[in-house]
Amino acid sequence: MFTFQKIRSCLFYLSVLLFFSGLPLILGYALGYKFNPQSFKFIKTGLIFVKTQPSGAQIYLNGSLLAEKSPAGILELLPGSYQVSLELDRHYPWKDQVEVEAGKATRIDKVILFARQPHLTQFNRVEFSAFRVDPEKKMIYYLDQDKKLVYRSNADAGNFEDIASLPDRFNQINGWEVSPDKAKLFIYNHRQISVVYFDTQNDYEYSGSAVLIDYPQARVLNVFWHSDSYHLVVLTEKAVQVVESRPLAQPVNLVELNKAGSDAFYDIQEDVLYFSDTARNPERSFRNNLYRLELSANPDLLERLIAQPFVQGSPALEEAPDE
Amino acid sequence: MNRRRFLKRLLEITPGGLSWGIIILLILLAFFHPVSCAIIIISFDFYWIIRTVYLTILLVMAHQRLFQQEKEDWLKRCQSLPVISGFTQLYQLVIFPVYNEGPEVLRPSLEALAASHYPLDKLIVVVAFEAREGSAHQKAMLLEKEFKGRFGAYLSTFHPDGLAGECRTKGANATWAAKAAKKFLDAREVAYEQVLVSCFDADTCVDQEYFGCLSYHFLTSEKRHQASYQPMPVYNNNIWQAPFFARLVEISSTFCQMIESMRLEKFVTFSSHSMSFKTLVEIDYWPTNMISDDSVIYWKSYLYYNGDYRVIPLYVTVSLDVAYSSNIWRTIVVQYKQKRRWAWGVENFPFAVEGFIKNRHIPLFHKIRRSFHLLESHVTWAVWAVILVIIGPLPVVFGGNFFSHTAIAYSLPKVTGVLFKFTLLTSLTWIFLSWTILPPRPKGIGWWKHISLVVEWVFVPFIILVIGSTPALDAQTRLMLAKYMEFNSTLKGNKVL
Repeated sequence: MFTFQKIRSCLFYLSVLLFFSGLPLILGYALGYKFNPQSFKFIKTGLIFVKTQPSGAQIYLNGSLLAEKSPAGILELLPGSYQVSLELDRHYPWKDQVEVEAGKATRIDKVILFARQPHLTQFNRVEFSAFRVDPEKKMIYYLDQDKKLVYRSNADAGNFEDIASLPDRFNQINGWEVSPDKAKLFIYNHRQISVVYFDTQNDYEYSGSAVLIDYPQARVLNVFWHSDSYHLVVLTEKAVQVVESRPLAQPVNLVELNKAGSDAFYDIQEDVLYFSDTARNPERSFRNNLYRLELSANPDLLERLIAQPFVQGSPALEEAPDE
Repeated sequence: MNRRRFLKRLLEITPGGLSWGIIILLILLAFFHPVSCAIIIISFDFYWIIRTVYLTILLVMAHQRLFQQEKEDWLKRCQSLPVISGFTQLYQLVIFPVYNEGPEVLRPSLEALAASHYPLDKLIVVVAFEAREGSAHQKAMLLEKEFKGRFGAYLSTFHPDGLAGECRTKGANATWAAKAAKKFLDAREVAYEQVLVSCFDADTCVDQEYFGCLSYHFLTSEKRHQASYQPMPVYNNNIWQAPFFARLVEISSTFCQMIESMRLEKFVTFSSHSMSFKTLVEIDYWPTNMISDDSVIYWKSYLYYNGDYRVIPLYVTVSLDVAYSSNIWRTIVVQYKQKRRWAWGVENFPFAVEGFIKNRHIPLFHKIRRSFHLLESHVTWAVWAVILVIIGPLPVVFGGNFFSHTAIAYSLPKVTGVLFKFTLLTSLTWIFLSWTILPPRPKGIGWWKHISLVVEWVFVPFIILVIGSTPALDAQTRLMLAKYMEFNSTLKGNKVL
C-alpha cells in the first residue's frame, strides 16, 4: 500500500504541475496568443473564419493556397490586412481584402459561390403567359391567356395537366391568384372579376361554371383571397369591398376611399388589409395615411370596421382621419 | 435562533449556496461577459480532464490490487499469524438492518455468509427488523427456521418505532441491533475488543474471503480499533438482468469507490463496512437521527479519536443489488432517489465542521484540509455536469455578435473538443475494467449481452445529464432550505446468484 500511495502522490503532484503549466498555454492559444521564437515574446494574433456555400472551397491567403478547405479557421494571423480568395471548381470565385485584429475573429461566413453553369430545368410543356408558385411550393400554376387555359404541375415539373378553362368573354387579365385551398383561382381586369373552379374539385356548389362579377361603376385595382378561400377582398378606386365568390354576389363596401389608386397589401395569415388613403387633417389640408383593416372571421366580416390610423413618425399623422 | 442553531444552519447552507452561486455566476457571465465565462469553462474542462486521467490511473491501480488479492487464502494467512494476535478469539458480528426487504432479498445474503471461508461458529448474525413493519415477525420466523443453527449465533431484533431523539433511519435500527448484540456478548463475557462488527445492507452478499481478509487486516494493523474496514462494493447480484441505465450508474459507483480507496486521506466509510465493536460502543453507535449513517459513523470515530482514525480499504468485494424498476423511466427515478440519498451525505459537512469547532485536539491544518475535502467533493459533484453539459455551450449561444467575433469564441468549441477526445481514452479503460469485474454470465443470457455491455457506454453523456449533478444539487438545496430528507429504502431488483 505504501508503494501505491507513493505512486499516487507522484501522480497527484504531476497532475497539479500539468494543470498549472498547461492552463496558461491552453488559455493563451484560445485567446489567440502565439509564441514568437525569434523575439521570445508572446504576440496576440487574430483569426479568419471562412464558411462558404457550398463548402469545400480552396482558400488563398495573400495568394498562397492553404491546406484547409472551407469551412475553416485560419489561426494565428498577425494583425493587419489580408487578401482572401475562395475558389471552387465550376463556381464564380470570391475575393476580398479583410482586416484581422488581435484577439478577434474576422468572420467570412456569408459567402455563396454561385455556379458558373447553373442547373436549369424547363418546367412547362406548353406555352403560357403567367405562372404562380403556391406558398408551400408544392404546385406551379400556369395561365395561357390566348388559349384561355390553366395548367398545373408539381414542383419537379411532373404531373403536368390542364385544370380549368377561362370564361370566353373575359379578354384582358390584369391579375390572378389561386385560392388558399388550391381549388380555384380568380382573374380580374378593371371591370370584371371571375372565379374559375378547377376540374379536379367536385365538392363545390358552383364548380363547373365560372363565376363572373361585373364592376360597371368603379374600376377594380386589386383583388385578394380571404383565407377562407370563399370571400374576395377587392380594392376599387372608390372603396374597399368584400364579395363572395358565387354568382350574383353583391359586394359590401367596408371602407370608402378618398383617393383613387391606393396601394394595398393583404396579409392572408392574419386576414389583414393594409392600404393607403388620403385624409383631411384639422388644418384642412390632405395627407396620405396607412390603414390596417382587420378582416378575420370574428368579428363578423360584413360588419363595417373602423379603420385605425397607422403611426408613421410625424405627430400629425397620429390623429384619426376625418370620416 | 441561538448561536449553535445559527452555526448549524450556516454550515447547512454553505454547500448548496456555493454550488448555486457557481452555477448562477457562470450563467450570468455567459450573458454579460462571455469571454470570462469561456475562460472559466476552458480552465474547468482542462482541470476535469486532468482529474479524469488521474482518477482513471488510480482506478487501474485499485483494480490491480483487487485482482492481486482475489485468489488470496486469507483464512490461511490469519491462521498463520502468531497466537498472540488473537485470531482464535475473534468474533464477527454481522448486522443486517432490514426495512421492507423480503426474505427473497435476505436469503442470498445469509447464504453468502454461510458459504464464507471462515469458521461459522465465530459468526454472530443479527437480522434487525423494524417493529413498525407489519410482517417483520413473520419474516424473522421464516428466516430463523432456515438459518438458526448455521452460525455461531443468530438473532432477530425488532426496533421500536418513535424512540425519543430518533428518526426513521437505518442507523437507528442498526444501533438498536448493536445494543441487543452487546447484551448477548455481555451475557457470554465476550470482550468487545475481540469482536468485529459489520453493518451490511440487506442485499449484501459477501465474498467467501471477506471475513478472512477483514480479520487479517484487523489483526495486523496498528491501532486496529481506530480504523474502519471498507470492502469494495460491486453491484453484481443482478447486473446481467438490470437495464443499461442502472447498470452503468452502479458500475460507475463501484469505480468511484475503488478510486476513493486509493485516496486514503479522503477515504470515508460507505454502505457496507466493518469496524471494531469496542470502538462502536465507545462512540455510542451509529447516529440515530441521520440518513448517511454509513459515513457519519466515520466522522464520529474521527472526532472521538481526535483525528487519529482512518479507513482501511479491503480489496475484497461485497456484492449488492442494482436498484432498478419495471421500465426505464421508473428505473431512472429509482436511481435518482438512490443517488440523492447518497448525496445527502452532504449532511456530514455541518456535522464534521461542528465537531471540528468543538474539538481542540485535532490540528488546525487537518481540520481545514478535511473540511475542504468534504466541501469540495460535494460542491464538485453538484456542479461538474452542469458546467460541462449546460453552461459549456452558453457563451457561444448567448454571447452575441461581439463574442462571436472574438478569437476565444472560435477556440472554445475547438479546445474543449480536443480536450474531450482525451476522455475517450479514459472511457475505453473504464469499459475494459467494467468488463473484467462482471460475474460469470448466468444461464439464459445470450453472448450478445457482452457486446451490448460495451455499446451501452455511448449513453454515458445522457446518464451524466440525468443524474450527473442533479441529485447532488437537489440534496444540497433541500439541506440549504432545511427540508430534511427521510430514509427510504431503495427498490432492489431480483437477485440471480
